[in-house]
Amino acid sequence: MKKKQAEGPSRREALIDSLSLPKDILLGALRVTLTGSQEAWVENYKGILEYTECQILLQGKNCQVCFEGQRLSIEYYTNEDMKISGCIRCVRYQ
Amino acid sequence: MLGILQFLKGYVRMKIWGVSPERFLNLCSNKNILLWDIRKDGDVYTMCISLSAFLHLRPIARKTGVRVVVLQKYGLPFLVPGLLKRKIFIAGLFLCVAFWIVSYRFVWDITLEGNYQITQEVFTDFLTSQQVRVGMQKTDLDISALEKEIRRAFPEITWTSVKLSGTRLEISIKENDTPMFTKPEVPEGGQNLVSEYAGVITSMIVRSGVPMVKIGDIVEEGTLLVEGRVPIYNEDATIREYMYITADADITVEHSITYQDTLPATYIQKTYTGRRSSRPFVRLGSREIKLPQERPYLVYDTVIQGHTPMALEKLSIPLSWGQYVYREYMNVEHEYTLKQAEALLMEKELQFLKTLEEKGVHIIEKDVKIEEGNACWTMEGWFLVDQPTGRAVNIVLEETVPEVGE
Repeated sequence: MKKKQAEGPSRREALIDSLSLPKDILLGALRVTLTGSQEAWVENYKGILEYTECQILLQGKNCQVCFEGQRLSIEYYTNEDMKISGCIRCVRYQ
Repeated sequence: MLGILQFLKGYVRMKIWGVSPERFLNLCSNKNILLWDIRKDGDVYTMCISLSAFLHLRPIARKTGVRVVVLQKYGLPFLVPGLLKRKIFIAGLFLCVAFWIVSYRFVWDITLEGNYQITQEVFTDFLTSQQVRVGMQKTDLDISALEKEIRRAFPEITWTSVKLSGTRLEISIKENDTPMFTKPEVPEGGQNLVSEYAGVITSMIVRSGVPMVKIGDIVEEGTLLVEGRVPIYNEDATIREYMYITADADITVEHSITYQDTLPATYIQKTYTGRRSSRPFVRLGSREIKLPQERPYLVYDTVIQGHTPMALEKLSIPLSWGQYVYREYMNVEHEYTLKQAEALLMEKELQFLKTLEEKGVHIIEKDVKIEEGNACWTMEGWFLVDQPTGRAVNIVLEETVPEVGE
């Protein structure tokens, strides 16, 4: 039974899917919006775990997301959202 | 817009370093403190924060073991204390603002447009009589009352618009293009129509009155054309009484008009010598200050080149400057050639014909010649025209009582 749950979506996700509700609000999923490789907007994060010029690691509710690149900087940082600018090479979920 | 708000509120650029700067950032965001332009230079983070939020950073910095140092201060709250030390600058700024505020309360310029028959001087006199003048306070100006007064004082004005644009009073008017007719007074005793010219009647449409001539009749000047005394007959064709009315008819007479016009053999033309001098002036309100100067040349004309400054494109200032430019010229006498004389006389003749046509005169035939006379060119000839006629003449009432039939 546990194996079956691991393979497919959970009941909650299935319910949200069937009702066409926004997942980022109900599941607290990270929302990342990329514009080219220069800008990224991130919402629904918990906080910054690590910030260097080459890497920004963010904590989400269920996972972590890592922006890797060069000359990375944070344009602004609030409780709601943040904007990352620089030369983004990859976005990695952990 | 955001930049302006940030400037007004004031913000600082600071650097932080210490045990856990990431935690410092997270705590700031949890406390709804906006951080922007966050960069990392080695072990140091630099960022911007608003002045009000900066004052709440101490507990966060202590909690996270981070040291905070201000690098640069921006915005009005940091600028004002420095400015306040410059007393002359502040006084100048205050006086400047006060000048604009006070100036804005007055009318500094009055413009008029759309006037053709009414001259600028007449209108200026009217405005002066209405206490509307340059330098008056805007609060004393009642625009709608002024519009009504303009329409009342000048019946030929059909439309008026008065508006204040900054410190300029703009008056636009529209005059009546069509001529104004006054209803002619009808005399009690009635009127006859008499001929104004000697000639042959070519057409005749009588609306009221008794026609005394017919088409083809030869008439003299003063001949009675239509009589305003209309007889009223009894049943036996005898006249019972006369009714006096104003005779009305469209009658045309064919007659000839002699035409003569002369043109002097010579004319005077201005020839500029190229010599000119200028005299600067400054005008403050109605007062004009200019440098004293003797009569520059024997014969000259004057051109005024003025410049009126406009502040902020709206605020006109009662100060203008410029220069009087005096240009010397000589009156040189020239003689008209035959072609020039012909062209000028023909133009005058055409103007005369146009005037006749405007009066409803139809030109049938013309014969004019140009001759060189004694120190002048002469144009002589005649026109055969078909011209409306009929001059109203009051009927002289007779004392005698007309025969009354039984």
